[in-house]
Amino acid sequence: MHWIAQKSAQFFITLFVLIAISALPSLVVQLEFVPSNYWNGLQQQFSQLTKLDEITYYNVTAQQELPLLPALAPLMKETVIIFMTSLAVSVAFALLYAYFFYRSGKRVRTVLQQTSQTLEMVPDLFWLIFTQFLAITLYKQTGFNRIEVAGGFAEYIRFLPIVTLTLTILFFLLKWLTKHILEEEATPFLELARAKGVRPAALFWKHLLPNLVYRFYLFFRSNLITVLSSLLIIEYLFNVQGIFRFVVYNPVMPILLVILLVVYIPIFLVDVLAEWLIPDAWKGGV
Amino acid sequence: MRRALMRDPIFLIVFTILMGLLVLSIGNTIFRDGQVDQFLNRYSEEGRLIGIPPLEPSKDQWLGTDRAGNDLFQMMIEGFKWTVGICATVALGRMALGLLVGIPLAFRGARLNRYFKMVLDGFLILPISLLAMMMLFSSLMFADSTMVPPLVDRVSLQLTVFILLGLPAVTLYLITEVRQLLKQEFMVVAETLGGGVWHRTRRHLWPHLVPTLVIVFMQQFVQTLMLLIHLSLFGVFFGGTVFLFEGVMPTLFEWSSMFGYYFKQFTATTWMTSHIFLVPAIGLSLLVFLSNLLTSRLERAFRLRRQEAIVVDETVSQAEAAAASLADPFTLVHADGALQLNRHKRLNDIG
Repeated sequence: MHWIAQKSAQFFITLFVLIAISALPSLVVQLEFVPSNYWNGLQQQFSQLTKLDEITYYNVTAQQELPLLPALAPLMKETVIIFMTSLAVSVAFALLYAYFFYRSGKRVRTVLQQTSQTLEMVPDLFWLIFTQFLAITLYKQTGFNRIEVAGGFAEYIRFLPIVTLTLTILFFLLKWLTKHILEEEATPFLELARAKGVRPAALFWKHLLPNLVYRFYLFFRSNLITVLSSLLIIEYLFNVQGIFRFVVYNPVMPILLVILLVVYIPIFLVDVLAEWLIPDAWKGGV
Repeated sequence: MRRALMRDPIFLIVFTILMGLLVLSIGNTIFRDGQVDQFLNRYSEEGRLIGIPPLEPSKDQWLGTDRAGNDLFQMMIEGFKWTVGICATVALGRMALGLLVGIPLAFRGARLNRYFKMVLDGFLILPISLLAMMMLFSSLMFADSTMVPPLVDRVSLQLTVFILLGLPAVTLYLITEVRQLLKQEFMVVAETLGGGVWHRTRRHLWPHLVPTLVIVFMQQFVQTLMLLIHLSLFGVFFGGTVFLFEGVMPTLFEWSSMFGYYFKQFTATTWMTSHIFLVPAIGLSLLVFLSNLLTSRLERAFRLRRQEAIVVDETVSQAEAAAASLADPFTLVHADGALQLNRHKRLNDIG
């Protein structure tokens, strides 16, 4: 009961903060900070909350104002597809890498460590331009034109955005995994398991990995803003018809509020679920 | 620590490159008044027109020129100090304010900190570049190039917005770090011995916080750079955007603005014929890469120092443990069990 009360309190506080954030654009007027204007913006956002269905946006192709909420679903679908696919692929690759790293000897480990460290330093911007460049060079060399480099009006572009975001997330995860595997390896419970003759594969998947799940989740959650920033710029540059690109093209406060809610509510639900479903033993408790 | 860095060739190389660029860039302002040469049409010996801007890279213009004939190499040199200066200022500002808010809060109870975290949680899901773009867009667009307000106003607004938007994340991070340090044994001892908050912060917390701060600084530096790049891609250049007849133009030669500006031109033309945007793009990628490299070398140096410290710690704690296990102050440390038993018996007998 206490837990539910705490979680709902957190939800409403964050909701309030999100509204305050979404009103921030009204704070700056003509190179000055104007608090009174911000106050007005805040009131406006609150009143907007009661009539979310009345928010409209200007549709360029239809040349008129259209209601926002019905138009949101396809945008969200694109963003979710790209985000979830990249996340799944990069986590799968990261796990494979982690297992390989765990099983390999000292020399291979050093090489892997150095490589992952170096790759993590490369900015996402570079991968973005690099993949676009690669696709175009491929087309020039071989005439293979099935890879889209930018989305059109009614076309969906998925392959390259997913590849770019996957690379960004993957390299982001590798360094963390490497560090924590090395840390976990020295723990007594793993040594005990090894001494009792548990096979290395079982050692990794059954004993080491579950111990990392919750911490991994916390790490990912606290760095989500980096991933979402990458997603934003990827959507913008590849012309993906997703929610982030939509806000960039419609930079008004009501739309920002809706997008913030749309982004925050699923994250909050996943947070609650994770805290509820992940067993205490995995969180380092007893 | 300093010795470890001085012996690290990678650190030295990276540091020299960055410092060299900075010196060149500032030198350009001092000795050439920040001038960037413009080359319009190029003629051959007999006066035939052989090239119009954008010119290809050549012996005279190392990286070629852009459409307006500006020498790209000189522009990059001139812009470096702006890019680095902005990022360093923002990173330092965020850290200073974060410490100012974070350290007093970290000394408070766990409950207050939980509430604080709850309130700031909302800031951790929204891409900063999006919010910054919406806040700055209307103020930094100038339709008339003669009506641009003074540089100081524009820059100070932008710096303030950048610092404030990144502040919640930095503050939360610093609070966690400080609270972790406060739990350490030496901090508890310092408190028990009656050290005030200010004394504990200055004497005990600060030395342990410095390595973290250096790394946070580098991270914030790179983050600000990415923020600048994203903004310039959205068309908000640093120092403001001027609408011209043929499109938008930045008001400063700054790397990320150059990248955003040329990237727009690239999407309008074909790929390799306009190599222009690649120059700032590669420059920026290299800058991010080098900064990250510097961070990792600093981390390594701090780790080495900590390892040395741990060795000292262990010997001290071993001595303490040995001292604590003594039955009374004058027992020999290496006395064997039998002797001890004998001694005890004798003492009991006497008693």
